Amino acid sequence: MSSPSAVPPIRVAACDAVTGFGDAATSLDQLLAGRTALRPHPVLGNDGGDPVPLALLPGRAYADTSPPAWLSDVRALLANLPAGDWGTPRRPVMVTSSNFGVGNMYAYQRHGDASHLAYGTPSAAVDWLTGELGWGPNVTTFSHACVSAHLGLLHAARLLHAGLADAVLAFSFDFLSPFVTGGFHALKILNAALPAPYAARETGSIGLGDGAAWAILTRDQGDFIISHQSLYNEMHHFTANEPGGSGFAACLREVHAGAGARRVWLKGHGTGTLEAGRLEAEAFAALWRDAPLVSWKGGLGHTLGSCGLVELAIALRAMRNGRAPGTVGSAAPGFTSAVAFDPVDLSTSDAAVCASNAFGGAHAAFLLSHA
Amino acid sequence: MLERYVTALRTDDAGAETPAETRDRLRDHFARGATRRMTQLGMLIGAQVKAVEPQPHEALVYLSAYAETRALEGYLESFPTASPTLFQTSIHPSAIQQVMIGQHQPLRHFFPMAGSRHGIAQALTVALLGDPAAPTLVCGGEERGTWLLEQNAASDRTFGFVFRLSANATNALARVRLSPEVGYPVGTCPLPQFFDTLVARRPLTLGAPSGARLTWDWLAP
Repeated sequence: MSSPSAVPPIRVAACDAVTGFGDAATSLDQLLAGRTALRPHPVLGNDGGDPVPLALLPGRAYADTSPPAWLSDVRALLANLPAGDWGTPRRPVMVTSSNFGVGNMYAYQRHGDASHLAYGTPSAAVDWLTGELGWGPNVTTFSHACVSAHLGLLHAARLLHAGLADAVLAFSFDFLSPFVTGGFHALKILNAALPAPYAARETGSIGLGDGAAWAILTRDQGDFIISHQSLYNEMHHFTANEPGGSGFAACLREVHAGAGARRVWLKGHGTGTLEAGRLEAEAFAALWRDAPLVSWKGGLGHTLGSCGLVELAIALRAMRNGRAPGTVGSAAPGFTSAVAFDPVDLSTSDAAVCASNAFGGAHAAFLLSHA
Repeated sequence: MLERYVTALRTDDAGAETPAETRDRLRDHFARGATRRMTQLGMLIGAQVKAVEPQPHEALVYLSAYAETRALEGYLESFPTASPTLFQTSIHPSAIQQVMIGQHQPLRHFFPMAGSRHGIAQALTVALLGDPAAPTLVCGGEERGTWLLEQNAASDRTFGFVFRLSANATNALARVRLSPEVGYPVGTCPLPQFFDTLVARRPLTLGAPSGARLTWDWLAP
């Protein structure tokens, strides 16, 4: 396969996120303290079911209302977004999600209240959000499961460097509902156990989390650079990776070539599943033998389509503060010796590799560095 | 200005076909037994994408407003015993994955999108911003819903299309241009309307929300 054209670097002018802990700063502090926001909840919420680890936004009830109650959380998250004419020709918005308002589709099916359908489909949810948040119509929507956020970042870079935008707002969100927790539970990867990413144990499991994040991306403003964005889609199996790890390697090679001699740390995807976690850790170790590898999904849960942007916001703050959380919820032995279970001192690091993976063997990664 | 040429185009208007009828009609396009778990949209788009023979270095842009409606309906009906198969099938962009996974054909750049009124303008912008050295396939479609359609939460039509955008004009069927034009009025073009334009081979001029004018001009009958 030929190498893709290089995606030009962009800068992060501002960003924030909200997770089961709170905003990005609070999330970083809690992760550094080794805490988890995951708590047992009935998999189907008010309809009961097995307890599974979920990290809901602070105070959010696990039931979909009409209109969705998470709008207030989105408004709070965006309160610090510089005011402006987002969604206008020179200031486009990238909305990325895996679930959008599908929890309301579940609520409609269970309870018959047709008002839920105003938010149930991706288009309906984005149109509604666009109206509520006062954005113009220049909104592009990507949905590729758990690499969704990366697509928005990549397209933002292309828009900025083609001269079609002055600044881009990337916004990503996924709020849990029985629709998605029921699905992962049915796939038998969401169970009562807490996730232990990259830990070599007998049974794998994940936790799921609410997440939303935004970033303002520009050509030349901001003290962090996103570069060497890379995508790769194995198309090997719906829920399994090519067993040799070729998909992980193909995606990360592009970032590795761009990183050169920089001393990096690795913010992996690491959900807590065994096979994907092993393949990912080994692919990282093959390219960056001694670089510390961490996953934060043992603390945040897997925030699905928003994870790429949520974890970017936390990684950026970690780099600013000089200390990155370790792999919360896990303990040795890890899949490789590079798995860091404790916080990582970043004083000697130049950059981070941020990676996400998704169903269908989808992979995405980029290099995050100081400007 | 961004410009590409349409060098391949396929459309399939399934009309009022049921998923079973589509399966019977398109069965031979797929490996034996493969259609058993494919959705109607997956079969429709899959057969056409296969026919234009995607290459590993090509990018793929996929647009649908409703996507896997039947799988979504079935998955919702499966509660409280959620179906793992219908869960994974209902997730965007399952229609493309059904065919590409069936062929074990990797893709580097794959952009699954969702959108209605401005979706096609945004999808074409994504495609036109791709690497000029590598053609981009753009595909899309919908499948007709059942009980979600009764609530206007699903497509009332079943259709699919694919076309290849290339920087090379050789044997081109059409030319697509995106020209920045301040003040050009923003228009809308829902996916069914765009599909009808393709089938009828009508030219298209559309004001994109990005402040650009999008034009599709046919070059050959």
